[in-house]
Amino acid sequence: MTAKSVEELTVAEVEAARRAIEYYFEKGWTDGLPIVPPIEEFVAEFLAQTSRSPEDVLITLEHLKRTCNVRQAAINAVMAGCRPEYFPVVIATLESFQGAGGALIQSTTGQAQLIIVNGPARERLGFNSRENILGPGDRANVTVGRTLRLVIMNVLGVRPHEFDQSTQGTPLKFGTCIAENEEESPWEPLHVEKGFAANESTVTMQAVRSDLHVEHRSTQVPEEILLTIADTMSYAGGIYEAPPYNRNNGCVVVIGPEHANIIAAKGWSKQDVRRFLFEHYGRTKADLRRFGKIIGLDAEPEDAFVAHTRSPESITIVVAGAANAGVSTVCPNFGGRSATKVVR
Amino acid sequence: MADGTIFEKLGKPTAVIVTTPFIRAGDAMAKRQGFPGYRYATMPNPIGNLNSDQIKQRAREVLPQVLAILGLPEDSVK
Repeated sequence: MTAKSVEELTVAEVEAARRAIEYYFEKGWTDGLPIVPPIEEFVAEFLAQTSRSPEDVLITLEHLKRTCNVRQAAINAVMAGCRPEYFPVVIATLESFQGAGGALIQSTTGQAQLIIVNGPARERLGFNSRENILGPGDRANVTVGRTLRLVIMNVLGVRPHEFDQSTQGTPLKFGTCIAENEEESPWEPLHVEKGFAANESTVTMQAVRSDLHVEHRSTQVPEEILLTIADTMSYAGGIYEAPPYNRNNGCVVVIGPEHANIIAAKGWSKQDVRRFLFEHYGRTKADLRRFGKIIGLDAEPEDAFVAHTRSPESITIVVAGAANAGVSTVCPNFGGRSATKVVR
Repeated sequence: MADGTIFEKLGKPTAVIVTTPFIRAGDAMAKRQGFPGYRYATMPNPIGNLNSDQIKQRAREVLPQVLAILGLPEDSVK
């Protein structure tokens, strides 16, 4: 049977589609936005995009007694508005969620999962890596990110007012999926840095607390840009209590191409940038005392620098956004684990 | 709550204490773990900002609930 064109649909048929959408609201199976009803025919289109069995388990959370298999992933990808060809990226996303410590989804912090796509899949599937990288408008980014949230709510059963105990949450929880702007980056892309081939596509995931905007449009001095980023990384609200809790922090630094290229033009490698940020990521003991966020450190002088993390490797650097202004973004980690999985 | 129900399954008598904002999540977790209606002690929030004396006072206040859950007489702890 040939499907009707949109112009041929009757009012009754569109009304029926709306009733189907309303049914999912009534059941509590949405993130508060309308979903695409996941009829078997749609789900089959997604399952045809992978060699994985529909019964293959992608996520297991023992303490919640829940798993998510490939079929459940496909159902929620349909609901989120994905195109079928995005489905291999969805699978890699859910695998990286598991690898990044999927249990961290009930905390009062209300953290989100930042998804980073690298490699040829970006171009092939239309993932945005440039203007408005953290904003709305690009279907691949928005719907892959949304799929993870729907899986967390519908399959893992972590919904607000019950298992999701976020004190306030963050808009990033609707789904935050960015692609690295590899073409305008002066450095090797994230997946190559992690040991994957440049022609492989990957998904990297890190749980993050929020996104913090970083402005610096009036300098050509790498240290001035990086000190501004490091100061944003070290904001008082991001400190739980120090020490010992300061030791496992970290950040994803989404450096805008303009900042990245100013810094690289002066000879800085990505590792140089990471080292510099690490050395300036923290506060003085006097600052911590002022905020009432200090335990011990009795032997330290008041001007001692208290590092916010143990190693430079807790700082992830990604180049993304438009090359149109001196803007970057800091996403403070929640939990130390990230994971990268290949899109197959 | 998940830890408490796991201890129960292992046969270890357990008393879980839940601060009141977490009652709904606690009930959901008990149900998910196969213990619907699981009995637990409650106390007010917050506790993270209490000093040593205040937290001891909280412990004294919640103790009767904990002992009752464990089936112990009220005078079993000095």
